[in-house]
Amino acid sequence: MNRWHLLQKKALWSLFTIAFVIVLNFFLFRVLPGDPARAGIKDPRLTPETIEALRTRFGLDKPVINCFKTINPLVLGACDVNPLETQFVIYVKNLFLGDLGVSYYYNRPVEDILKERLWNTILLIGLGQILAILIGMAYGIFAAWKARTVIDYGALITGLIAWSLPTFWLGIILLFWGSSHGFPISGKSTPGMSSYPLMMQIGDLAKHLFLPTVTYTIVYMAEYMLIMRSSLLDVLSEDYILTAKAKGLSVFQILKDHALKNGMLPLVTVIAINLGYTVGGVIQIESVFSWPGLGGALYEAVNRTDFPMLQGAFLLIAVSVVVANFIADLTYSYLDPRVQTG
Amino acid sequence: MNVQLTESSPAAPVQRVNYWKIVSRNRVALLGILMIAVAVIVALFAPLIARYDPKSSEGISSSDVYNPPSAKHWLGTDDVGKDIFTNFVYGTRVSLIVGFFASFISIVIGGIIGLMAGFYGGRVENFLMRFTDIMLVIPDLPLIVVIVALTKASLMNIIFVIGIFGWTTTARIVRSQTLAVKSRKFVLRAKAIGAGNWHIVIHHILPLVLPIMVVNAILVVSSAILSESTLAFIGLSDPTAISWGQMLNFAFSRGAMSVGAWWALVVPGFGIVWIVLALTLLGNGLEQILNPRLESHHLMPGRPSFQSEAEAAPVKTGKSTAPVLLDVQNLSVNYVSDGKVAQAVRNVSFQLHEGELIGLVGESGCGKTTLMMALTRLLPAAGEISNGHVIFHGKDLAALTDEELSNLRWSGISVVFQGAMNALNPVRTVGDQIEEAILKHIPHFPPKALSARVEELLDLVGISAEHKNHFPHQYSGGMRQRAIIAMALSCNPQVVIADEPTTALDVMIQAQILELLDELRKKLGLAVLFVTHDLGIVAEMCDSVLVMYGGVTAEYADVDTIYNAPRHPYTQELLKAFPDLTKPERRLTSIPGSPPKLDALPPGCRFAPRCPVAFERCSKEAPALHRLGENHLASCHLVEA
Amino acid sequence: MTSEFILEVKGLKKYFQAGSSGWFSKNGKQVHAVDDIHLQLKHGEVIALVGESGCGKSTLALTLLGLEEATAGQILFNGQDVTHLADKEKKEMRRKIQMVFQDPYESLNPTQTIQEIVVEPLVVHGIGANETERLERTKKALEDSGLKPAETYLNRFPHQLSGGQRQRVVIASALALEPQLLVADEPVSMLDVSIRAEIINLLAELQKTRGISVIFITHDLGTVGFFADRVAVMYLGRIVEIGGMNDVLKNTKHPYSQALLSVIPVPNPRLRRKRIILQGETPNPVNLPSGCRFHPRCPIAEEKCKQQDPHLFNLNATHQAACLLLENYQ
Repeated sequence: MNRWHLLQKKALWSLFTIAFVIVLNFFLFRVLPGDPARAGIKDPRLTPETIEALRTRFGLDKPVINCFKTINPLVLGACDVNPLETQFVIYVKNLFLGDLGVSYYYNRPVEDILKERLWNTILLIGLGQILAILIGMAYGIFAAWKARTVIDYGALITGLIAWSLPTFWLGIILLFWGSSHGFPISGKSTPGMSSYPLMMQIGDLAKHLFLPTVTYTIVYMAEYMLIMRSSLLDVLSEDYILTAKAKGLSVFQILKDHALKNGMLPLVTVIAINLGYTVGGVIQIESVFSWPGLGGALYEAVNRTDFPMLQGAFLLIAVSVVVANFIADLTYSYLDPRVQTG
Repeated sequence: MNVQLTESSPAAPVQRVNYWKIVSRNRVALLGILMIAVAVIVALFAPLIARYDPKSSEGISSSDVYNPPSAKHWLGTDDVGKDIFTNFVYGTRVSLIVGFFASFISIVIGGIIGLMAGFYGGRVENFLMRFTDIMLVIPDLPLIVVIVALTKASLMNIIFVIGIFGWTTTARIVRSQTLAVKSRKFVLRAKAIGAGNWHIVIHHILPLVLPIMVVNAILVVSSAILSESTLAFIGLSDPTAISWGQMLNFAFSRGAMSVGAWWALVVPGFGIVWIVLALTLLGNGLEQILNPRLESHHLMPGRPSFQSEAEAAPVKTGKSTAPVLLDVQNLSVNYVSDGKVAQAVRNVSFQLHEGELIGLVGESGCGKTTLMMALTRLLPAAGEISNGHVIFHGKDLAALTDEELSNLRWSGISVVFQGAMNALNPVRTVGDQIEEAILKHIPHFPPKALSARVEELLDLVGISAEHKNHFPHQYSGGMRQRAIIAMALSCNPQVVIADEPTTALDVMIQAQILELLDELRKKLGLAVLFVTHDLGIVAEMCDSVLVMYGGVTAEYADVDTIYNAPRHPYTQELLKAFPDLTKPERRLTSIPGSPPKLDALPPGCRFAPRCPVAFERCSKEAPALHRLGENHLASCHLVEA
Repeated sequence: MTSEFILEVKGLKKYFQAGSSGWFSKNGKQVHAVDDIHLQLKHGEVIALVGESGCGKSTLALTLLGLEEATAGQILFNGQDVTHLADKEKKEMRRKIQMVFQDPYESLNPTQTIQEIVVEPLVVHGIGANETERLERTKKALEDSGLKPAETYLNRFPHQLSGGQRQRVVIASALALEPQLLVADEPVSMLDVSIRAEIINLLAELQKTRGISVIFITHDLGTVGFFADRVAVMYLGRIVEIGGMNDVLKNTKHPYSQALLSVIPVPNPRLRRKRIILQGETPNPVNLPSGCRFHPRCPIAEEKCKQQDPHLFNLNATHQAACLLLENYQ
C-alpha cells in the first residue's frame, strides 16, 4: 500500500467519523430528556419573534427523520412528509450553510461566537502542545539515557505526580499564586488594550497566556515524558543500538541518529490517540482562566443552559479533534517508513 | 540472565503464584495499595471520622463563612460555613463509588468488545475496531459534559455516562493482548487436542488477558474519578452528594479566591491527587511486574575492567606463521547484579592470526557470546572484564578509554551481527547506515565518492545498487544478512567477529552467506572469529576451533584434531550428539542434564555433573588447561600427562 | 482396519488470500501454500518431510489436522474422508491425530501446571471415568515420556522445567489420547544440540512400542535418518521427490533435493563436499513461475521446463521425483 492510498483511506475514515459526529450531535440533542430545541423555545430569555424564527429554522413541527413521527422505530408514522423537510435534513442543511443556531445567552449566531473562540483555543493548545512535547521529549530522553540513576527516578516521580494532578486544580493553584504576582486572572486581554500599540498588545496577550500555557504544559509534559522515557528504554535495548555502538558512534550520535526517531513513534501515536483527551484538559483550563476559547464556551453553555451554544461547541470540538487526529496519523506515516511501503 | 528457580522437591504442592508476595515486593505498587487502603477506610468510616454532620446546617452563622483552619474546624470552613474536613471525608465516598462503578461498566464493555474482536478476527474484528476507533477519536469529556448537561446530573447518571464512554482503551488493550495470546502456540495446541472455542477462551486466553485487564482497570478507575471531579467542577454534580469537585466548584465560583480562602481550594484537590496518584502508582507497579523491563540498555555506562589475577605466561595458539592480530589472554568476564557475581567467562586465551578463521562453539549459555562481546567491550552494563587482556596492534582493548576504543571499533574490528534480529535500524535506509559507519571513521571522505563506495560494498555482497535507498523491512532475511556483512566491511577492518550470522536462515541462504563470507575473507585477507553452535558449519569453514563449556575453554585445536581426535569428553559427547547426513543410520546420543547456570556453578570441573567418565577428583578440583600438542589444548583431568 | 493406509492425501491444496482482506481492498491474489500434494502413509510408517521455510510443510501439517481448512483435494484417514468435517466429527478425529510443536517454550500455557496440561486432552474428550482414573493416565503418559517419577512433575509449571523436559510434556499430552498418527513439526530445532537426540530417541521408541505412524517435519535429515522410513522433499507447496530414506539420501535425483542435501553442513572437516548453492531465494508463492516451479533456479533446466509442469515420475517402486529430465529414467 503506498502513501497516497493510505492518505485516501485515512481521509475517508476521518470523513466518516465526522459524519458520525454530526449524526450523534443531532440525536443527542433531540433524543435526550432535555430536548433543547423544544425546551429552548420556552426559554423566557427569548422574544416571541425569535421563537417563531427558531421554529421554522429547526423545523420543529416536522418529524425528526422521515417516516418516523417519533424516533421510536416501532411507532411508524405514515410516510406522508416530504423527505427533504424532516428536522434531520434541515439540521444538516443548516450545518452546511454554516448555521449553528442562535445562542440563547448572547442572542447572536453561535457560529460567529465560536469562530473567534476557535482561534483562541488553537493558540492555547498549539503553544501548550509544542512546549509539552519539546520539554517532555527532552526530559524523557535524558531520563532514559540516565536510566536507574537519581535523574531517572526523579523524572519518574515528578512525572507520576504531575500526571495525577487534576488539570483544573493545578490551574486554580497557579491562578491563586499568579493573582498575587501580577498576572491577570481572566480573559485574554486587558479591557481597553486595543487602543495601545501592537507590541504592548502582544505583551498583554503573553501575560494572559502565561498561566494557562504553564498549566497545560505541566500536565501534558508529564505524560509525554513518561511515554518517551519508556519508549526510549525499549529502543535503547534494541540490537541496532548495539550495532551503532559497535560501529564506534558516540553516545550523542546514537541518541540523535538512532534513538530519537524510533523513540518518537509511540509518542506520536499517543499524541494522536490522546487528542480527544487533551480537549478535556482545555475545557478545564479555559474554565479556570476564563480563556475565551471553545472549552470555555462549553463550560459557559453548561452553566447558562445555552443549548445551541453547547451543541455548536461540541460539534466544533469533535470535528477539530478528528481533523487533528488525521494530521497526527499522517505525521506517523511520514516518520515510519514501514507504514508507507509495508 | 534468567531468574533461577529453585527445584521443587518430589510431590511438592502446587506452587501457585502468590500474587500478594509478588506485588508486595514492588515498592511502587505497595505504596499505591497502602494509599488506596487509607482512602477506602476513610470512605467506609466517614461518619466516625468526620466531626460534623454534612447535611445539617445547625448552628452555622454568617460569621462561619470561609474561616481559616482552627481547632474547631481543622481544615477551615467553606462558603456556607460548613466544616471542610467533614465534607472532605464524605467526598471520598463519591469518588470511590463513581470510580468503581463507572470503571466496572467500562471494563465489562471494553473487555467483551476486545475479546470478541481479538478472538474472532476478520469481519467481527474489523467492525468492532472501527467502531472503537471512532469512539476513541470523539473527545469523551465534552461528550460526557453534553450528555450529563442534557440529562439530570444525578450520581447514577454520572456513573453511567462515564462508564459507557470510558471503554475504548480497554477494548484496544484487551484486543491486542487477545491477539497476542491467540497467536501463541499453546492455543494452537489446545485446538489440536480438540478443545472448543469456549474451552480455549476460558482456559487459555482469559488467564493471560486478565492480568493486563486488571492493570488497565486501575487506570480506568483513576480516569473515571478525574472525569467525575471535572464534571463536578464544571457544575455538573449531584446536589445531594458532596464530592471534591463540587467543593472546588463552589469555592472557586463563590469567591474563595478573592477572600484568600486557600484552604477551600487546596484541600479538595489534595483528595483527588491522593487517590489518583495511589491508583497511578499501583497501575505502574503492576505494569512493571507484568512487563519487567531489562535492567539495562546499551548506552548505560559499563563497569570498569580490572585485573584480579597475577599475570600468567601467555598462551600461544595456532599453527600459522602469520603474525598474531588479536591476542586474547586469560580473559575473564563477570556479571554483577544485586551484589551477586556470576562468572560468565573464565580465563579464556587464544590468538587470532592474520587470515585465520577460528570457530567459537558451544551450547547456549556457554559464554561464547559474552566472550565475543567482551573483545570490543560491548558487554551489557552488568558485565565487567575481571581479568585478562585483549591485545590488538599493541593496545590492550580492555584498558583503552571509551574514545580510543570507539575509534578502533569497526575500523579495526567489526562485528557481523545476526541479521534476523534487529541489527539494522528499521527507520533508516540501509545505504544511510553504511555511510554513517564510513563517515564516523573517515570524516573527510569525499561526499561524491561516498555513494559510489556504498554501492561498491553492496555489490561486493551481491546486492544491486538500487536497493541502497531501501529500508531494512524491504529486504529479505538473506539480503539483510548480506547488508550487514557489507556494513561490517565498510571501514576495511582487519578482524571480523561473526556472531551466529546464519542461525535464523534457511540452509540454502545459509550456504550462500557462508560461501560469501569465505570468499570475502580470502579476497580481503580478513581474520575471522566465527561464533556458532553448529558443528557442521565449523567443520566446513574453520581453521581452528575453540570449544567452550560453562564459561571456560574445554578444548582448543585445529579443526581436524577436534573432529577426529578430540580429547575432552565434552567435545567427544557433543560430536556424538550432532547429526551427520552422510551417516543417516547412525543413532545419535545426547548428553544428559543441562549446562550449568552461571550463578550456580558446580565445584570442580564444570562439566563433571554431565560427564560420562567423571571421577572423584572432577567434582572437587577444577582442571587446568593442559597442552596436548603444539596446537592442542584441553582442560580435563584425564588428559593430564 | 478399513484401509491399507492410515493416511491418504489426494491433490490437497491450501491457498491463502494474499495481503490484508479489508473491506475496500480485495485483490484476487493467492498464496499457494500447499499445491496439489499426493501422499500415502501406511500404518506404523514414519515419513520425514523436508524443505525450506515457505515450502508449505507446516501448512500441510495444519491442514492434515484440520486446523486449516483445505481449499481442494481430499484427506482420507483410515479410508474415511476427513477433509471437511463438522465440529463434532473433527473433535473425534483429533483424538486420533496429534501434533508436537516446534517450540516447547511457546506451546505450553504458562499458567497451567504440568498435570493440568496433560489431563486437558482427557477432559476435553471425556476420557476416563473420574478424576482418579484420569490422574493415573496422566502419570502413565508422563512416565512413558521419560518424566519419572511423574509425581515430581505434576504440580510444576512449565517455566520450572528445561526445554527438553517441556518437550517431553508436550509429547506426554499428545500421547495421553493414544493417537494413531503423530505429526511432529521440527520438535527439536529449538533445543540445544546436546539434548536433541534424547527427544528423537524417545519419539522413535514410542513409535516402535505403540506402532503409531509419524509425520516428521524437519530441516535436518541427519537427526531422523535412523528411524524415518521415507523422505519427502518439498519445494513451493509441492513434493518434488519422495522415496525411501536411503534412496533419497544416496541416490538423490531431483536437482532441488540434490542442492538442498548438498548444503546441509556435515561435521566432518575431511569431507568438504562440493556444494550446489542455488542463487537467489525461493520465489514468492503468490506469483508462481510457469512450467516447472523450480526452473528459474534449476542448474540443469532446459527449454521445456519453462512450459511443462512435471508430475511425479516413478524411478523405482517407491522412489519418485517431479523433474522433466527424469521422464525417461530406467
